[in-house]
Formats: sequence, C-alpha cells, structure tokens
Amino acid sequence: MKTLLIDIDRCNGCHCCQIACKDEHVGNDWSPYAKPQPDIGQFWIKVTDVVQGSVPKVRVRYMLDVCQHCDDAPCIKACDSQAIAKREDGIVLIDAAKCNGARACQAACPYGVIYFNDELNIAQKCTMCAHLLDDGWKEPRCVDVCPTDALRFGEEEELKAFMEGAEILKPEAETKPRVHYKGLLNKFFIAGAVFDPVIDECVEDCTVTLIATDGVKSTLKTDDFGDFWFERNPPGTYSLVIEKQGYQPHRIDSIDASIDVNVGDIELLK
Amino acid sequence: MKQTPKLDTRGETFVKGTGLSACGCGSHTACVDVKDGKLIRIRPLHFDWQYTPEDYKPWKIDARGKSFGPTSKSLLAPFGMAYKKRIYSPNRIPYPLKRVDWDPDGERNPQNRGISKYERISWDEALDIAAKELKRMWAKYGKEAVLAQCDGHGETKIVHGVHGAHAMLLDMMGGFTLQVRNPDSWEGWYWGAKHIWGMDPVGLQWPYNGNVFPDILKNTDTCLMWGCDPETTSWGFGSVLMSRYCYHLTDLGIKQIYICPDLNYSAAIHADKWIPVRPNTDAALQLAIAHYWITHDTYDKAYLETHSIGFDKFKSYVLGEEDGVAKSPEWAAEKCGVPSRTIKALARRFARDVTSIVHVQGGPMIRGAFSTEPARLEVVLLAMQGLGKPGVHQANMTSGAFLVEHSTGRVCRPAMPGAKKVPWVGASYTGYNLFLPIPKQIIPKTLVHDAILDGKFEIFGSAHQQFPTEDQFKKYVYPAPGCSPIHMIWSDTPCLMTCWNDSNKNAEAYRHESIECFLVQHPWMENDCLFADLILPVNTKFEENDIGTDFISFQYDMLLLEKKCIEPIGETKTDWEIVVEIADRLGVKEQYTQGMNEQQWIERGWRESGVADMVSWEELNEKQYFPSPTDPDWEKWPAGLYEFYADPEKHPIQTPSGKLEIESSGLLKNFPNDPERPPIPKWVEKSALHDERLGGERAKLYPLLCMSNHPKWRIHAQLDDVSWFHEIHTSKIIGPDGYHYEPMWIHPSDAAPRGIKSGDIVNAFNERGEVLFGAYVTERVMAGVVYADHGARYDPIVVGKIDRGGSINTLTPHARTSTKASGGMVTNGFLVEVAVADLEGLRRDYPDAFARPIDRASGLVFERVLAEKENQQ
Repeated sequence: MKTLLIDIDRCNGCHCCQIACKDEHVGNDWSPYAKPQPDIGQFWIKVTDVVQGSVPKVRVRYMLDVCQHCDDAPCIKACDSQAIAKREDGIVLIDAAKCNGARACQAACPYGVIYFNDELNIAQKCTMCAHLLDDGWKEPRCVDVCPTDALRFGEEEELKAFMEGAEILKPEAETKPRVHYKGLLNKFFIAGAVFDPVIDECVEDCTVTLIATDGVKSTLKTDDFGDFWFERNPPGTYSLVIEKQGYQPHRIDSIDASIDVNVGDIELLK
Repeated sequence: MKQTPKLDTRGETFVKGTGLSACGCGSHTACVDVKDGKLIRIRPLHFDWQYTPEDYKPWKIDARGKSFGPTSKSLLAPFGMAYKKRIYSPNRIPYPLKRVDWDPDGERNPQNRGISKYERISWDEALDIAAKELKRMWAKYGKEAVLAQCDGHGETKIVHGVHGAHAMLLDMMGGFTLQVRNPDSWEGWYWGAKHIWGMDPVGLQWPYNGNVFPDILKNTDTCLMWGCDPETTSWGFGSVLMSRYCYHLTDLGIKQIYICPDLNYSAAIHADKWIPVRPNTDAALQLAIAHYWITHDTYDKAYLETHSIGFDKFKSYVLGEEDGVAKSPEWAAEKCGVPSRTIKALARRFARDVTSIVHVQGGPMIRGAFSTEPARLEVVLLAMQGLGKPGVHQANMTSGAFLVEHSTGRVCRPAMPGAKKVPWVGASYTGYNLFLPIPKQIIPKTLVHDAILDGKFEIFGSAHQQFPTEDQFKKYVYPAPGCSPIHMIWSDTPCLMTCWNDSNKNAEAYRHESIECFLVQHPWMENDCLFADLILPVNTKFEENDIGTDFISFQYDMLLLEKKCIEPIGETKTDWEIVVEIADRLGVKEQYTQGMNEQQWIERGWRESGVADMVSWEELNEKQYFPSPTDPDWEKWPAGLYEFYADPEKHPIQTPSGKLEIESSGLLKNFPNDPERPPIPKWVEKSALHDERLGGERAKLYPLLCMSNHPKWRIHAQLDDVSWFHEIHTSKIIGPDGYHYEPMWIHPSDAAPRGIKSGDIVNAFNERGEVLFGAYVTERVMAGVVYADHGARYDPIVVGKIDRGGSINTLTPHARTSTKASGGMVTNGFLVEVAVADLEGLRRDYPDAFARPIDRASGLVFERVLAEKENQQ
C-alpha cells in the first residue's frame, strides 16, 4: 500500500512540492486520472508557513496539506455518484467522468484538501500522481523534487524505518490516512533568556524548571547567551522557575503554550 | 476500482540548465519532457539516467561519525519547476515594437519614454532601423556614442549569449561605451576586504576556498551566518545542496548563529540563535567584539605578529586612544540594536569556539553605505582568531570559483569536492566576455544616471568585478579623452529600474534629450523596457539549441547538450540571431559569425570543453549530459587558507606585504586621509555622501531603516511574472483592487502606531520617491526596520516618482559606497517612512495608471503597453 511520509522537521519551505504539482497538473490533461488543474487557486499539496514566537526567538515551520488517501475515506461515502474510489494500492481517485459537481466530498473531507473546478464542474485533488506511477515512474512529482527528503514515498513496509514516531492528522476523524507526519505542529517551544541587569551580562548555567499543570517538571540549563528553549511541549498552561546560586529565584506563571512562546528577557537579581 | 489504462506520460526528454546566472555559469540541470510540441514538465535530472555512479564517482565527506554527499538527482530551486510560467508568460513580448511617438526620421520625443505606448512593426523594419541608427551614431558622434548594457544575470546561454552578443559586434566594429557591472552582491568585500587580504578579483575568501565546507564539518564548532540566507540566495544559480548542508550542521551539533535584521528563510528553520542587528550597523558590532577580545585578552596575538601588519593602530582605535571613544559593547549597542550583554556573550563564544563566518553573497551586511568597513572588520575578527587554521574560514556558499581560475589563471579549488576536469565551454560563448580588456570609455552601472544627466564624472576604479585591487586607485573620467558622450543605449539587460541605485534618477536619465535612441532586446515587457524606443523580442533557452555546463551546483560538474525543446513563442529570436541580422545589415555577418552556424558553434564548445576526450560528440548527442568524475584526490586539497596559516612566509597572500594588512598599505599610499575608507577599518557614522542612520537629521522625517536583499521568489529582476509564486503570501500580497503588490515586512510595534495591518496597502517613501507595498506585519523583522525584496517589476503611477510595482530600488541612495569606492552600490540600510496608502485618492488622480490591464493570476501583462489600435487587433 502506497504511503507518503512528511517530515515537517526537514521541510525548508522551498515550496518545490507545491510548484512541481502545478507543473505536472496545470495545463496537462491526465484523464482519466485527473483533468487539468486551474492555473491558480488549487493546491493539491499546499505549503503554509507558520511563524511563531517573538523577536528574537522566532521560528517558522511549514505545514503541508495534501489528500490523506484515507483507508476509510469520508469522501468516498459522501459521493452519491460513486465517482470516488480507492485503488488496490491505496490511492484514492476522483473519476471526473462520473463527478456530478455535487461537492458532497468537499463537505465530508476533514482535511480541506478537495478543491472545486467551477469551469469543469468537478471536484479535484491529489492523485499521488497515479498516472506517473502506472507508467513506471517511482514517485509522485512532489517527492521527486523535494531537496531535503522531507517527503518520502513508497510501500508502507519499505518506509517502516522512517515511520518511527510518525503521527496522523486528526486521528479523531478515524479516517485511517495513508499519509503520515513527523514534527506536526501540535507541540510548542517555551523559550526565554536570563540576564543580570546589574553587571549587564547574560547569565549562563541557570537551572530553569518548566512545570506543567499536572505538576510534571522538566529542567535545563541556560547557555552562554542565557538562553533556554524547552522544545515540543504539549499545548497547555505552564510555569517557569529560574534559579541560580547567589540570585533570587524568579517564577513566571500562566504561560499559555497553545503556540510557540518567547517569555522574553528575564532579569535575575541578587 | 479497476486499474486505469496506462497513459504515455513521458514524451521526449531534453536536458537544460535552469540556473539563472547568465555569464556562462551553468547550474541546476533539469530534465524537460516534451510531447507533441508542448512542454509537459521540468524535473530533476537523475544522474544515473544515462550513467552509473561508477562513471561519475560520488564524493563523500566523513566527519564526526556521519557522512555528507551529493544526492542521486539534481537539486532544483522551485524556479526551475515553475519556468513553464515564464516561457508562456502573458508578459512575453511576441513581436518587435516601436514607441508610437518615436520617429527616427523626425520627432523623437525622449520626454515621453515611460509614458507613450507601442505599435507592432515587422522584424525587417525593426532591424533596418537598428542598423541605420548605429550607422548614424557612428557618423555623427563616433563609436563611443553607443552604450552597451550587457551584464548581470539572466538565463544561462552559451551560443546564444544572453548579455553581450551586441557588445561583441560593437567591439568588432571598433569601439563602444561599456556599462561595467559593479560587484553588486559583494560590494564591501570588493571595495574593502581586498585591501586587507587581496583575494583578487572578488574580495571574498577566493580563490582560497578549497575544501572549506568539508573542513567546517570536521573542525568548526560555531558558524556565524552573517547576513547569510542559503535558503534564498542559493536558489538562482548557486547550490540547493546548501539547504541539506545546514541540516547536516545541525545533525553534527555545529551551531548556526544568524546575525541579520530579519529572520531570513534560513534563520527561520536552521538557527540555533538569531541576533537581530540594525541594517548596515554590523561594523559597530564587529568593533565591539574586537574591543571585548582586546580588553579580555582572548585573541591570537602570536598569529597577528606573524601573519598581519598594522594591528597596533587598529587596537589603538578600538580602545579609543585615537579618538577618545572606546568601541565598547555599550557604545555599539546603541548603534546596532544588539544588547551589550549579547555582544559580550557573542564575543566570548566566537573566541571560545572554533568559528567560521558563512555567507552566500548578498545579504544586509555588504550592500550598505561604507560597506567596505564591515567587510574589512570581518577579516580582522577572523585574523584575531587565527584565520586559516582548521575550522576558521570565511566560507561562501555561492561558488563560481572556476571563473576566478579563468580570469586570473590561479588554481582555484572548489569549496566542496568536485571533478578533476571541470567542463568549460567559453570557446563557444557569444556573449560579452568578462575577461576582455575594457574599451576606451566605460560607465559603471551605478553611474549611468550621472553620466547622462551630468554629462560627466570622475571616479576611482572601473568597478569591474574582474579587475584587481590596483584598479581602485586608477582614475576614470567620462567622457574619456577623445570620446563622445553616449547618445544611444543598446540593452539586453533592461533592469536598472528595479535592481540599481536611486533608479528614479535612471528614469530621468532614460528620458533625457541627449539619448536619441534606446534599443532593447528582451523576452518580457518589464522594467527598463518601458523606456525603450525600439524593442526586439527574444526567446527563452527552451526555444533554442545550445551547449552548456553545470559547475556551480556543488554536486557534479557536467557538460550539457541543451537541445531545442519547443518552437519559439510568437516571432521571437535569440539574442545572437538578432545581432547576426544586424551584422548582416552592416555588411559584417561573415566576420561576426566567424563563418560558423549555430551547430558549428555548439560543436566547438564540446571540442574545447576540456572533456572531449572523455565523452565523444556522438555520445554527448545521445546522452545529452556528461558528469565529469570526481577528483579522486580532492581530500588532499588544503582547506581554505591553511597553508598561509601554517607558513605565511612560504605561502604569502596576494597583498603588497604578503600578510593580512589590517592597515592597508594601498589605502595608506593612495588615500591616507579618506574618512570614509581609512587605512584601518573604522565605524563611519555618516559623511557628505550618506546620512542614513537612525540618529541623523533625515531620520526625523524618515524614521525606519529599510533593509533590502536578494528576493526569495525571484532571482533579482527575473521571474516576477510567475503566477504560482504570486499565490505565496511572502511573494505577493493581493490588494483589495486585485493588484499584486510586493510585500513589505514591518514589526507589529512599528505597524500599530501607523495603523497598519497585514494586507493593507502602504506607501513607503523618502525624498527619492514613493512605492506601494502590501504590508506583512510580522515578528520576522526587528523593530525599527522594514524589509522589501528587490527586483519587483516597475509599474509607474508617475514616472520617476511613484511606483505601484514594488521597485524598492527607486528609494535607494544615489551616492555610491563612498567617495573613493566610487562605483559601489548602496541598496541596503536606508531611511524611509511608511504609511497606509490612499489607494482611492491615487486612483482618482492617476486613472490611466490604474486602468492598465492585469492578469488575475500573474499581474502585469504585455498588452498594457500597446497603443489602442494595436489592442483592438
């Protein structure tokens, strides 16, 4: 069964996948696999930059949205004209000849990856470049052009080594996606910097303790810039305690880590 | 579901280099699939398509328990995959055009350039006019009356020599005035660093850049990515492999600290730390680091003793003994916006760790006023930590090393492992040869407006990017003795309006009465084309037969046979074909073509490529590419300046003393009292030329510092019409009027008091002009700074005054790097103010500008310049 593995941690945001998908499908008619994609407005694979944190602790991560080729695809069930079907290799295709433009699939898809072509009155989406695979090509265009191996494609068995720790999108939808992600944007950093305003120095080697609402603690030491970064925290409310011998401890409460957060530059006083 | 019947998805496959360097420097090799005369797709080349790895011998760097090497396929920037949109762009010029109110036999109306529209004419008429105008110029004023603009970037072609096929003809005819391309992406290193460490002709650590990237993986602890953005600047023609390299640095635990005003696209994903610094204040930060080291005794005194001259004077300046001002972290913090405690921590890290400084050309550090100073100070800092010792380099992620070898004859090893024999097809290059001696009269690209508007200039240095340091002490005057000022411009590089300094002044110059004819060859209706009298449409490389190379991708060095993929769009011709036709009308066709046709020129390229003994003509025709095998001895190349480090007497560098001249003997001898580029590098607050600091008088009117850099979604002026990029919000912001505005980054703390929200249309302005942008309110830029890419298509609302297209260069300083660095360009770190634009008011006042047709997907279209009767055809 074909599987696509997306490693957000290796995505450099080049958009090559998004652009190559358009190169393959805009202006090219691959019927019966897919009718041409309009020049603009559809993104069978879409890159979105997510900017989080504040100066100078800011990061950008890139989310990739693409048809999940679900094993239990709501779009297939929603389509009255039986235009959508799953192939033996796991790829879900919309048959443009059968599509009556009812848009039920769009409404049923929990991932928002089915587009509508007004001109042709059909629903359209990623085909995993089935027209290429059936003609002997090894990978869909998006994977072939990825310069960083953030995208990998193959039989699920072949990808096992890379799949460790991978997640699926919206598991609560119970759609059994064939697309797996690493580094999904569901865990966030809590970062800051510690300094001594009296001597005007960054304070290295502070013990910084992060406390979650359930009392679970993690600690780390500030580096030579006084920086600390707690990586990949589940969303929630946190407290921070900063301690160093000779200084008064500093505590910050009610840190909302529903996104990446820079708590700022923290003065530590003697 | 039944298996669907198999389609033929392949078509015929061609090989093309998609790097957009021009100048014969190929890269980004792609496969192009064509079916029934239609271009189907552009995709990476898998090196094992026609060969096996045993043939090309992949290299591998083993360091710290992990390996790094090339991938099995070419790594393309998205530019390559999107190029179909460029080829079939609605902004392509399909046939020759003449400005409606330009009559070569009557009224020429130069004042209407940029305003008047165009009519279609035949090729015969266009070429006849071109030849006639040339003859008229030569008879009336002499050969130098014709200025050839023929430099910079573009599609990389060889036999159809984009950029300068016409200059080669003019040269053959006995002379012309050459527009000299200044070192536009490495100004400070060229005008500054060369005086401290030679490194001719470039000024970066070239040609001593062999193996620096393998050495960093082995020996470096911290990389200072100083104004460095490999996720952007490498895309046009450098190496996309550098993205993987940055990930690999992280995998090995080598830290990347990004020092730049913006969270650039590399800092956004690779940074271990981002230190925001105000545009063009790096010199203050660098001096403070030196101050910290001197006062804490954490620098390599023994090295300075044996490897440098003049450190004592520098030390005295840094400590304030010379001017009473200690260049302390506290002093610097106020200027550069980096807290003094962070400067101290950075100084400690730099001294403690084995540290390299990494660049990819361009970047905010090197394109500002007085950029000679940060460029020199960087070398001083590296020298203070033992430059050349394992892991201590200035590393440049854009290669081009091979060019240096060709211009200087000095053996130059690439920064990454490469082939033993690098293919080179200079023998069939028909563009203007960078290594030719310059003609009697030149105009640096930064002084075109001055030459036309003032009619004269007197400068130091030609600004020629391939010329040695001594050239900077030589005086150049315009008009040159015995030469006419220019009265005709012939351009195949029509981009000054969006890429060069104070370009509103170029608009004024192009409309000056002394310019009787402005002839342009170009594929797209953009930028300076708007000022032309006569426009000859050129095709893209996909519509031509050619030969090529790939030697700056950092994977494999290759020879390419680039066959024609599709028929020319419209009536377009190649640059070379156009010039051959003009040569024919001048009666010198045989001489110009050397009696050879396209195929013979291509074959000559293969014959003299240096690898003809390794790949036969027949084999190259069949396989279309030849990856030259990796040099088996690459690991023996000394890394960077290691030999100089180990034995400076035996391996001197190319300075007068053979050592690092912290006090430059050349500057001391020629310009001992220059306050803008003194013999030792200093902080220059302002001068008679430039007042672009936040503390200055002008900052009261224009309180934001504007940073501008190489664009993310273009390569300079190229690719601004690709609809697929316009869908990305950091590429274009679609206004409420449907127009595609260029983004301007602004910090929330600067946006709020101005009432600016993301997506608002704003105008950025100073006394040089006014430009409309779409606001991008973001934490990706530091407070007090706004950011805009250069290269957006100029779309004047009022010619020379108000631009809708986002050409930030209309707001850049007029004056050059400094008085004595006379040809350098200042396009970063200048003052502006930004406010919400009154779009409705502008529309009311300038209805014509707002009525121009635009394409919903890609913005500006060719038809906008057509006179009404043409539009109705």
